[in-house]
Amino acid sequence: MMNSEFAAIPEKDGCVACGQKDCTQQDFPIEWEGDHYVSRREMVKFLTLGSALLAVANWAAAFGKRFVRRNSSEVKLLGPAKDLERDGYMLFRYPTAESPCIAIRTPEGKFVAYSQVCTHLSCAVVYDKGENQIVCPCHRGVFDVNQGRPVAGPPTRGLPKVKLELRDDQFYATGWEA
Amino acid sequence: MSVRGQGTTLFSAILVLVATTVVLQLWLLTFSMEALLRGNYSTLVPAAIASTVLLAINAGLLRYVFGFDREAQRDLNR
Repeated sequence: MMNSEFAAIPEKDGCVACGQKDCTQQDFPIEWEGDHYVSRREMVKFLTLGSALLAVANWAAAFGKRFVRRNSSEVKLLGPAKDLERDGYMLFRYPTAESPCIAIRTPEGKFVAYSQVCTHLSCAVVYDKGENQIVCPCHRGVFDVNQGRPVAGPPTRGLPKVKLELRDDQFYATGWEA
Repeated sequence: MSVRGQGTTLFSAILVLVATTVVLQLWLLTFSMEALLRGNYSTLVPAAIASTVLLAINAGLLRYVFGFDREAQRDLNR
């Protein structure tokens, strides 16, 4: 049964509520064409803003290199060289107490030192004397002992290398190699 | 076709260009971060310059969009 309030206004003559033709066009006066036009224009503005932010981030990365810890050139005494036997290693902190590092004397007698933080997921790497390589026990990442390059497992970046200097039979860490 | 109809088609084309340059900028930023962490600093400034050039292209296209929009408004008010 039809509501008596609207019974006098046939639907074909207009809106059953107000009686006007095309009243929805008054409530929403924007055509589809205009809607597409505005949405695309706004999207171009939004993406250009994103583009500006990305350019700023790129410059921040370019200038951020001076804040990277690897540029530290602090000199720190590590201890007497004779304490480090062939195939042996020692742990130390450089340049801060929160930065663990590992110094290794290879079977050839060469001294090398690296950050002990694995470049995969930051586990502490250890020296595998038998295989003469640096190993991350968490995910079996393997690094070359002479250069610190990743040779197996998930790490894709090499271990940061610490510069070592031998003065009067004493070891000093003097900075990071680029 | 109305001016707004033409504008919609034009803006769609510009949107594709802008989106492509933004994707390139994202790739440049990813590359820069990788280089920064690897300690390879020589590529950082060229990547930032390339990103700025892409931003300039986008800004030029946006300027064109604003100019076209002003024309379209004038056409609607006539």
